[in-house]
Amino acid sequence: MKAFITGVGWVTPSGMGCGRDHNNFEMKPDKLPEITRSAVFDAPYPHFGRLDRYSRLGVAAIGFALKDAGLDRWTRKRPVGMIASTVHGCLETDLNYYDTVIPDNGRLASPNLFAYTLPNSYLGEAAIRFGLTGTCYTINSSTFSSPRCLRMALINIAGGQCDKVIGGVCDTGRLPPFSVGSEDHRGAIFFVIEKTIKRARMAYGGLHLSNDGILALNGEKVRSLPALAQKCIHNKSSGNKKTGADEG
Amino acid sequence: MTHVWVTDAQTITPFGDSLEALWLAVMAGRSAIRPLERFAVKGYQAGVAAWIEDLTASDNRSMCRNLTDRLLGQLGPIPPNTDLITATTKSGIDNLERIKGGLPADPADVLPGRLSRDIRLHLQLKGEGFNVSAACASATIALAQGAEMIATGYTDAVLVCCLDLVTEFVFSGFSSLKVLSADPCRPFDRDRKGLSLGEGAAALLLMNDKLARQRGRSLLGKIRGWGVANDAAHITAPARDGCGLRQAVIKALKSAGRNADEIAAVCAHGTGTVYNDLMELKVFNRIFGNRRLPIFSIKGSIGHTLGAAGGIEAAVGLKALNEQTAPPTVGFSSPEKGADNKVSLHPLTFSGNYLLTTNSGFGGINAALILEKGKMN
Repeated sequence: MKAFITGVGWVTPSGMGCGRDHNNFEMKPDKLPEITRSAVFDAPYPHFGRLDRYSRLGVAAIGFALKDAGLDRWTRKRPVGMIASTVHGCLETDLNYYDTVIPDNGRLASPNLFAYTLPNSYLGEAAIRFGLTGTCYTINSSTFSSPRCLRMALINIAGGQCDKVIGGVCDTGRLPPFSVGSEDHRGAIFFVIEKTIKRARMAYGGLHLSNDGILALNGEKVRSLPALAQKCIHNKSSGNKKTGADEG
Repeated sequence: MTHVWVTDAQTITPFGDSLEALWLAVMAGRSAIRPLERFAVKGYQAGVAAWIEDLTASDNRSMCRNLTDRLLGQLGPIPPNTDLITATTKSGIDNLERIKGGLPADPADVLPGRLSRDIRLHLQLKGEGFNVSAACASATIALAQGAEMIATGYTDAVLVCCLDLVTEFVFSGFSSLKVLSADPCRPFDRDRKGLSLGEGAAALLLMNDKLARQRGRSLLGKIRGWGVANDAAHITAPARDGCGLRQAVIKALKSAGRNADEIAAVCAHGTGTVYNDLMELKVFNRIFGNRRLPIFSIKGSIGHTLGAAGGIEAAVGLKALNEQTAPPTVGFSSPEKGADNKVSLHPLTFSGNYLLTTNSGFGGINAALILEKGKMN
C-alpha cells in the first residue's frame, strides 16, 4: 500500500504553520500558543472563536496541512477523508460541559458545549470549513506519537474509499487525574496523503505500508508522527527529489 | 477482493445477554424503553430510556467493565493474532460523573482508549487494538474499517466490540438539544417527537475466507460492502438533502459490486427525530425508488445505543437476512411521507441476499454496510 505526503501542517508549543514555510519542526513540553482566527485563516471564519480549544487546535492544523498541499481553496465539496488520533480528546470540553449539568439538576446544561463532547466533532467542523466529504473518524490512542492513523489512511486509499486522506493527531495534553500513557505531548500535526500526484507540487515523500504493519517514508521506517514531520521538513530542506511523481 | 465473513455476533441489551434474546424480543414487538431510575430526571425533557437493570459498577470501574465482561463471555474462541477495533462515543463517562460527585472512580476509564486496552488484555490478543469514535456511526465505521483491513489483505481477522451507556452526562446533553421524546420513540411515524436513549454492546468477529474455513467457524454472513461519507453541512443536524448518507450508500453498493435492486431490506438508523427520519426516507426513496422493500428501525425496542448502535444493528441485520424477515418497527403507527408500505409495526418477510444497514451522527458523519446472507443456525 502506497501513497504520497503532499502537505504538512501543525500547531505545537513551538509554533504553527505549514511545512513549506518552515525549515524545522520540533515538539516542546510547553504551553500551546493562542490560536486566533487571523493567525490561521486569511478568510473570515466568525464561528472559529466560539469553538472549544481542542476543536480550534485541530481545525487550525488541518487548515495548515491543506494549505501546504495547495488544497485549502475550494468551490465544490470534495471526497477527502480525515482520520485523526487523540489521547485525551475532548476531555477538557467534557469537564466544562458537565460543570453546566451539575447546578439545578441539569436544567442549565449547555447544548453548545455538548455538541463538542465528542472527539470527532472538530472533524465535522473541518469538513464544513473545507468541504471535505470522505471517511471521517477519530482513533483513541494511548500515545500521541502513534502513526496508526496513517496506517488506516493508507488502508482506506488502497481499498478505494478515498484518493486523499488527511491523517494526524490532535491533543490538548494531560489533564490530571485523567491522564494516561508516558508521553506528555500537546499539539496537532496533520499530513495530507494522496494516492497519486497530478499537480506540479513536490511531495515530501512516498509513504508505504507493508503487510506486517511497518510504515515507511521513502523506505525509512516511520516511528512517530513528530518524527515523520521532522523527516518531511528535512526532505524538503535537503532538496530530496526522490519523492513524488518519479515513484508514481 | 478477499471476502469478509462474520463468524460470531453477540449482543448485550436490556432484553438479555444474547443476540437470540434480542431477536425474539424485537420480533415480538417488545420495547425496553421505560422510566429511568439510574439518576434523577426531573430537570430533563424526558424520563425514559432503554437501560439494563442489572448493570453494575464495582472496584471503582465504570459500568462499561461489567458490560464488556458480559459481552466477551458470550463469544467463542478468538484467534490470538486477531486485531481489535472498539467503538464507543463516551465509554466510561459514568466515572467522570462519579469523580465530579466526589465519589471514588478510576479516572482512566473516562478515556475511550481504555476500552480497547481492557479487551485486548482480557482476550490476550497479540494484534493491534484501537478505538473508533465517530458519534452514532462509530460501530458502523469500526466494522467498515475492520472489513477494509481484511479485504486489502492487511490482516486475517478483526474483532469489533462496541458499547455505550445511558448516563446523566449524555442524557442531559440530548435533553439540552431538545431531541428527546417524552414517550418511547416512534421511528418513521408522522407523530414522532424525538429519540429515546438506550445502552448495550455488541461484538462481531470478522475473518477472511481462508481463516474462517480453516477454523471451521460459523459463516453467519458477509460484510460485502461499506461506505462512509460526511455531509459537510452541520455539526448536530443531518443535511436536509441527505447528501452524505446517499454518498455512503452509493460507495457501499459500489464496493459490494451490487446494484440497488439487489438490496432486499434496509435496517435504518431511524432515531425518531423529525429531521433524521425525513432525511433517511428521502435518501432511501431516491436510491430505491418506489420499490416496496422493507425498511425497519429497532430503536423503538432498544432505544438509540449511540456508538454501539451500528454493531447491534448489523447483528440484527444478519439475523434478519438469515430469517428472511424484517423485524417490526416498534412505536410506528402512522407513516411519515415516504414510509408507506415500507415501514411496518409487524414483521415483513422478504426474499433476497443483501441487506443495507446505515447510521448517521454528529459531525455530519454517515456510514453504510451491505450485508450478505450466510448460514446462521
